[in-house]
This record gives sequence, C-alpha cells and structure tokens, in this order.
Amino acid sequence: MKTKLLLPNQFKKVGWIILIPSTLLGLYVIISDNTFDFLNVRVFTIYNKSFLFDSSETVRFGFIGHNLTNTVAGVLFIVGAMFVAFSREKSEDEFIAKIRLESLLWATYINYAILLFCFLFFYEYEFLYVMIFNMFTILIIFIIRFYYMLHRAKKSLSHEKQS
Amino acid sequence: MKNSLKVERAIKNITQEELAREIGVTRQAINSIELGKYVPSTVLALKLSEFFGKPVNELFSLEEGD
Repeated sequence: MKTKLLLPNQFKKVGWIILIPSTLLGLYVIISDNTFDFLNVRVFTIYNKSFLFDSSETVRFGFIGHNLTNTVAGVLFIVGAMFVAFSREKSEDEFIAKIRLESLLWATYINYAILLFCFLFFYEYEFLYVMIFNMFTILIIFIIRFYYMLHRAKKSLSHEKQS
Repeated sequence: MKNSLKVERAIKNITQEELAREIGVTRQAINSIELGKYVPSTVLALKLSEFFGKPVNELFSLEEGD
C-alpha cells in the first residue's frame, strides 16, 4: 500500500540520533536554568518588545541580541521527534496506518486533557512551564503510544505461533 | 465481524507469514484480522478473496451488533 505524507524509513534512525541528545539538552536547560555563552548571538526577529527593561525598545523585522540555547534545544527536539514519529515503518500496510492514526487521535485527546487539567491548577509563572512542556507533549505521547501498539501487535504474534 | 481466515489458511496449509507476503501486508495485519481485532479494508478483503478463490462473504460474515 502506498502511504503518502510520510518520510522515508531512514529518517527514523536519524530522528532518534537527534531526539535523544536534544531531550537531554532541553531537560538540562530547564532544570539547571543554564545557557551556553557561545550561543549569545544576534538574531533576526519579526517582532520583539523587550519586557525586561523599562526602555521597552520595540524591534520589527530587525535584529536583537539573544541567547539561542532554548531555541537550539527546541528546534532539534521538534525535528528529531517529527522524524521519529512520521517516517515510514520498514513494512507499511493499512494495519500500521490504522495504528498510526489511532495513536494520533489518542495523543491529541491526552494532550488536551493534560492541558485542561493544568489550565485549572497552575497559574502565573508555573503556567509558563506548562506551556513549554505542552509544546512537545503531543509528539511525545504519540511516539510512546504508536510504538507501544506496534510492540503489542508484534508480541501477539509470538503467542500465536505458526499453526 | 467473523472470518474464516484461519480455517482457509489451514486448508491451503500456509503460514501467516506466507499469506502476508502473498497479499503484500505485514504478518501483524493477518494476525489481527484472524484474532478479530482488525477489520480489513475492501481492497484487502478482495485480495484475500482472490487468493483463496472464494467470494468475500464466504471469508467474512457479519455478527450480531455489526
């Protein structure tokens, strides 16, 4: 069966290689609140209103000085997770496609259930953390659920040994 | 929905693996259909019917509640 809208299978391995270090980097950045000085650069921005200083200098389509540690961690995580989540399996068929779509629906439900819960019980600065994590949860939940279901389908094979 | 895939397979004396390869799906798909966990698409049902040389509604039949 031809499956459109999926990356080639080789992207999966590349995805894991990007995803694992970027997850560790992301967690390190959040927990330690550290940034890497060599990532202090000038970057192009579409709109930036600095809320840190009273000067509140507004930049439109211009350059600002910024530390890119979070950006690097976030971008690498998204790219890695997208590769892992949406590249073809070695063998694809309608059954795998069904597991994939079901997992995506499932991930969306769980993601918004968590967000709804956090909306009601986290406020102010803590909600910022909720938003940061929520940017990635839908991909994380999807990947866990999809691979778990594939694993289960494989496992039920070994129980059903050849007749 | 019920199916007689396992029986047909036994008659033809082929494994899930071989059937999967013939039809062009994963072995997991064949296994899930046999276990009644997965209802195949019309295309896949027709391919199975062609392979076993039997009409689709001899391979698959409705159950109460379908």
